[in-house]
Amino acid sequence: MASESVLEISGLSKTYGAGKKQTLALNRLDLSVHRGEIFGYLGPNGAGKTTTIRLLLDLIRPSSGSARIFGLDTRADSVEIHRRIGFLPGELSLWEGRTGEQIIHYVASVRGDTRGIAKHAGELAEQLDLDTSKRVRDLSSGNKRKLGLVIAMMHSPELLILDEPTGGLDPLVQQTFHDMMDDYRAKGRTVFLSSHVLSEVQAICDRVGILRDGELKAVESVEKITNVEFNWVDVTFRDAVPAGLQRQLESLPTITNISTNGTRVRMRMVGDFDPLLRAISSGYVEMLHVEEPSLEEIFLAFYSGDEEKTK
Amino acid sequence: MNGIVVGNTLRTSWKQILYWGLGLGILGLYIDFIAMSPDIISGYAELFKSMPPAMLQAFGASDIALFTSAEGWIVTIFVSEAAIFLSVFAVLAGLNISANDEQSGVMDVILSLPISRSAYLLERWIGYALIGLGIVLLCALITVAGLIGMNIDAPRDVILKSILNLYPGTLLVMTVTCLLATTLRRRAVAIGAAAAFVVVSYIFNVIGASASGAVADLMETVSYFSYIHGEAFVIGTYDPIDSVVILVAILVGFAVSLKMFVSRDIGV
Repeated sequence: MASESVLEISGLSKTYGAGKKQTLALNRLDLSVHRGEIFGYLGPNGAGKTTTIRLLLDLIRPSSGSARIFGLDTRADSVEIHRRIGFLPGELSLWEGRTGEQIIHYVASVRGDTRGIAKHAGELAEQLDLDTSKRVRDLSSGNKRKLGLVIAMMHSPELLILDEPTGGLDPLVQQTFHDMMDDYRAKGRTVFLSSHVLSEVQAICDRVGILRDGELKAVESVEKITNVEFNWVDVTFRDAVPAGLQRQLESLPTITNISTNGTRVRMRMVGDFDPLLRAISSGYVEMLHVEEPSLEEIFLAFYSGDEEKTK
Repeated sequence: MNGIVVGNTLRTSWKQILYWGLGLGILGLYIDFIAMSPDIISGYAELFKSMPPAMLQAFGASDIALFTSAEGWIVTIFVSEAAIFLSVFAVLAGLNISANDEQSGVMDVILSLPISRSAYLLERWIGYALIGLGIVLLCALITVAGLIGMNIDAPRDVILKSILNLYPGTLLVMTVTCLLATTLRRRAVAIGAAAAFVVVSYIFNVIGASASGAVADLMETVSYFSYIHGEAFVIGTYDPIDSVVILVAILVGFAVSLKMFVSRDIGV
């Protein structure tokens, strides 16, 4: 992967409101995204992902700091930057009374190349199985999302900025989207996508930045960030929890955070299942449920120093 | 700026020309129809005589003598009523320039395209200004066609000019609404403020014209209704300076709108 930066963010901060109602949405963000990579921008809701994207698009203005895309200032050169990027908002709103074709034609004409862009839009729509002859108001939320993707990608931009791109898409289309992103990367183009879905990021991203409370906590390769292997295990016994089980579980180095609720025991487990299965075999196990950690939990495990314990 | 947004605005909103233009045109035809009967007009004149002068001013007339002619009747009644309807159109058009798209979130998509905020706002303004022109032209043509069709003896050029003179006022209200929307950000607040602008302006005009003194003069001066009276064309007192004043107000208002829209956060 080439190391040339497509996106450079330096000390970017954004504060909303004034006085006592002032809220710091983004705090001194420093970040760079390289050409040809798919960068995942991860964080829980309200972390500042959308604020960052809106700043990059010059929809809102920074309180301090700056950002450059293709070496151009996002404020002073926004029109030139917008010519070379594609954008899908997190909450996509389009003209409800117009058809997909009409919107594509309008956006293509603003971009200055109706014929070429519209042809590519048709190919993308076919790939995503989207009927562009319908009015927006008649489209499902998933199909609206597809239309948004077509609009963002139809001019083959050098940089795609996607805010929660797969929300509302069915699993089959999500897979198509992942394939499209792979093609994009193969062509040397760059993608900056925000998400709170770990599996999506794992599937398509090269690197991720983790944002929390407006601060970038880490930038790592996907491999490294998702290598924090622990699971939540719920064991439900038919009768009572076997006597002495709590003590037995506490003695296992791979089990922590044990809590009991009636006949149900919940715990955090790393490594192999065998020690746990041996421990619970003294009771009649009605159900065993294993749950993957949330993004937030992985993040906390990784950055609170737990990673050594969990690996 | 390449006119794409103007074209798109016209393509999506041209029907407004038909709806508003035909609606106002039918009103014009109705007023033409009444003008065919001098008895009805003199009946109205008698009615106004028995009312306080402010009522006459509310219809945009300063002298009851205007009702002695068909053109006086048509211009006074039609222009005053059309001015109110066109103000409603202008408020809605002013909101359509930016506020509605910003409120719905469509603006995020638009401003991610290679078009500057100023070019976008200007093109939207031009689009709706052309729609407003279409409405005024259509209703003027229908009203004048009614004169011909009903064989009413009235100077058509006077009636045409007095109706076309509604256009600057319409543009002013549209621009003020656009300014309020770009400044206040919240669509609902902008609607309230724009409606207040129209209503207060109307009241100032009625009170200012029917009372005397410095305050009344000032009220009349600041009301845009006082610059679009149709009677000036009938009695020959039209002063082009009135249109220039409105034009300057439009330019200043739109310049401030642009500055506000370009410098602030969108969709916040």
